[in-house]
Amino acid sequence: MSQLIKVTRPTKIELIKLRRRLALASRIQKLIKDRVSILVMEFLQIAGQTVEVKRGLLDDFSAMYKSLSLAAGYHGYIALEKEFTASEGGLEITAGLRNIGGVKIPAFELRKAQQALRGYSLTDTSSWLDRTAELSEKCLEAIVELAELQRSMAQLGMEINRTKRIVNALEHLIIPGLQATIKYLNMKFEERDREEKSRLKRVKVLLERK
Amino acid sequence: MSDELPYDRILREYLTGELRVLNAHLPGKQKSLADLWDEEYPHILCNDGSVHLFKRKELRYLTSLINSNEQKALALPILIEVNAGRTEMAVLCTGDVEKKVIQKILDMPLDVREGRITLYRPQLALVRKQLKTTTQYIFSAQP
Repeated sequence: MSQLIKVTRPTKIELIKLRRRLALASRIQKLIKDRVSILVMEFLQIAGQTVEVKRGLLDDFSAMYKSLSLAAGYHGYIALEKEFTASEGGLEITAGLRNIGGVKIPAFELRKAQQALRGYSLTDTSSWLDRTAELSEKCLEAIVELAELQRSMAQLGMEINRTKRIVNALEHLIIPGLQATIKYLNMKFEERDREEKSRLKRVKVLLERK
Repeated sequence: MSDELPYDRILREYLTGELRVLNAHLPGKQKSLADLWDEEYPHILCNDGSVHLFKRKELRYLTSLINSNEQKALALPILIEVNAGRTEMAVLCTGDVEKKVIQKILDMPLDVREGRITLYRPQLALVRKQLKTTTQYIFSAQP
């Protein structure tokens, strides 16, 4: 059962104010409902992509470890470590924000250093190491993408929860409350009219008697 | 002195605030694809002061869809209008470039009516999948 909003005075002005408030609340309820549906659609899309990227990442990881162990077997750990030390380099990621229906979510992009050479000696190493390097670069890209997707999912989930609470409050508490108060005021005015009519009738009867 | 109850005032302010928040992320000024391509970090400033970043991968994809003259005409982000209580959305078009881009993404012919392309939710999902940072939602309260 919805609760009545306490009105200071049952006047026509108060009724007009309540009607305006009801119109505003209904309009915002529609908008927020649309927003929730958009956020849910985006959430589901991101969830699907997360699964896809995670699956790809796991496949790439297993291929990379296989290739790395072959390279380690071919060159030996000491030689491989020497090549890895030479190929150490920084990683540049562009980080920013993007917006989905008022929710700020992170946007990461791995900036590829346009290098033809990876740092290690091409003459002393085999194609297994090239393959390992190629796969590890692919894994890095997927890790950055996954970080963005997982953070986005968390942010969107929180916002969906918050917005749903607002929609529920509007739908089950505020709007029914306003409607009930408007109904109460209308009944009060009708009652006043009826009282006025019967009073006038009574006055008329008294005047006729005189 | 206002005869409004504190509860009512809070409610009114909260509701109008919620409406304001919905469109606070809109860009102050759109930039053309050609201009964004020249920037080191392609971005725009939003009305709430935040920075919206575009991904180079998406810009590259858009560049592959249109020619160099159209790249100068395509204003980004592309705005998608969400109308209260309606199931379909609308892509706001300033020219024919937006139509061409959306047509190529959806791989189907589309009509522009009153500067808008009508999109249904499954179509919107496809567009958003390709253009995550280069499209933005705009919430409209008009019936």
